[in-house]
Amino acid sequence: MLDVRNLTKRLPDGHALLNDISFRVDKGEFVAVLGASGAGKSLTMRAIVGLTSVTHGEVVFTGETGKVYRTTSIGGKELRRARRNIGVIFQGCNLVKRLTVLDNVMIGRLGRIHPLRSWLYGFTDREAAEAMVALDRVGLADFAARLTGSLSGGEMQRVAIARAIYQRPLFYLADEPIASLDPKNAESIMRLLQPLARESPILGTFHQPEMVMRYCTRVLAIKKGKIIYDGSPRLSSGQLAEIYGDEIGLAATAAAEPSLVGS
Amino acid sequence: MNWSDYSPRRYSRHALSVAILLAVIVAASWLCEVNLSDLIKGFSKGLSMLGFFFPPDWSAFSEMLQPALVTIVICLVATPIGATVSILFGLAGARNIAPPWLRLSSRSLIAVERGLPEIVILLLLVAAFGLGPFAGMMALAIGSIGMLGKLVADAIEEIDARVLDSVAAVGATRWQVIRHAVLPEILPSLVANSIFRFEVNIRASVLLGAIGAGGIGYELNAAINQLEYSRATVAALISLLLVFLSERGADYLRAKILTSRSLA
Repeated sequence: MLDVRNLTKRLPDGHALLNDISFRVDKGEFVAVLGASGAGKSLTMRAIVGLTSVTHGEVVFTGETGKVYRTTSIGGKELRRARRNIGVIFQGCNLVKRLTVLDNVMIGRLGRIHPLRSWLYGFTDREAAEAMVALDRVGLADFAARLTGSLSGGEMQRVAIARAIYQRPLFYLADEPIASLDPKNAESIMRLLQPLARESPILGTFHQPEMVMRYCTRVLAIKKGKIIYDGSPRLSSGQLAEIYGDEIGLAATAAAEPSLVGS
Repeated sequence: MNWSDYSPRRYSRHALSVAILLAVIVAASWLCEVNLSDLIKGFSKGLSMLGFFFPPDWSAFSEMLQPALVTIVICLVATPIGATVSILFGLAGARNIAPPWLRLSSRSLIAVERGLPEIVILLLLVAAFGLGPFAGMMALAIGSIGMLGKLVADAIEEIDARVLDSVAAVGATRWQVIRHAVLPEILPSLVANSIFRFEVNIRASVLLGAIGAGGIGYELNAAINQLEYSRATVAALISLLLVFLSERGADYLRAKILTSRSLA
């Protein structure tokens, strides 16, 4: 489904931020990317959506019409076509605060409608009805007309998921979807994502190994730009120590890594 | 720093600065030919003149309504035009939307517009459009861009880059990002600022009217030139009323908009 091959990103001084990253994500998978802050998790995600350039390697997937996209080597219209197949679940705080919840969900479809139409007319009633279905799925149908900025962190995260669902992507990229949430909210977000992953696979970055262990099907661990583990989400404390260095628990929970779309 | 910094004696240290300041003031008044006896004479003359202004000639009131309406219309047209164009200047002047060369040229143009007083803009426009309400309207619109364009550009630059990235990531074009993320974020404050600008424009248009842009300011100036002081009083009172009402109305509307849910 999603094929990441030999992804490498070097700074001009030769230092490798991403070093030969390769993996596949297949149907039905819920893959968690673990790693300390600055390990390259977010950068990998950014590279997949084409928000950052890479020195070497490629990201390949096949679109709904059978067209093959290489997001690392295209731009402009081609890149926009590719992007509408990728449902990025951003941190909830990256929604447009002064739009209503429903308007934010409908942004998910912007890549599929003509720019002139979205400028002059906006969305059709049928699109709004479909967006309501997505909102209902995350349990926020009653919030449709609310201003997004007035929602809580957990609610915004659900809206971000509804937006990605409404986009009807081939696969999802989740950018630390539970990083800024309390344990109860985090748990309910994971319960939303798990069944979603069975329909279209999810690749997500996480900082909570215990959550990942319970909900994900596979773990990719990145350390200093290299994949050091690819396999079962059941990690021993020894493996966790290896991933996070010495301060396992500290690094895992306290680390607030720059998010996927961060600077 | 010690306790003596707070003692009353610290003022004595400023004695020299005060002496220099006084000397400058004396020298300046000598240069500008300030004459105290002229001031006193002019003041008493002005007081006796005040009698000419009262009572107001209320019969002129009905004739003044139409010019007053012209003043309002000039501002009602100029402000929205200025606000609309300022969105374009704001987009072109925002670091996160426009390339550096475009940002620099837009920002410079806005700065020039802001630097020129409306009267100067009007005098420049009169050469092209002649005297009258249209030139006044144009001058106010251009003046509004100077202020609103800068506010829009600054507001756009304050939008979190991640919000814009998150919209671009669904495959939206740059213009779709502007329509669905940038505009919704800046429109409420733009409308609120435009309402404030409308109030400023009402004030400025009285002045522009006096030098020939029509409206109530023109009537005021004409009445004084024709020595019809009691008529001038009515025009002045109407201008005052316009300014007062636009200020009250603007405050009310601005409060309503800033607390409202959404505009786009």
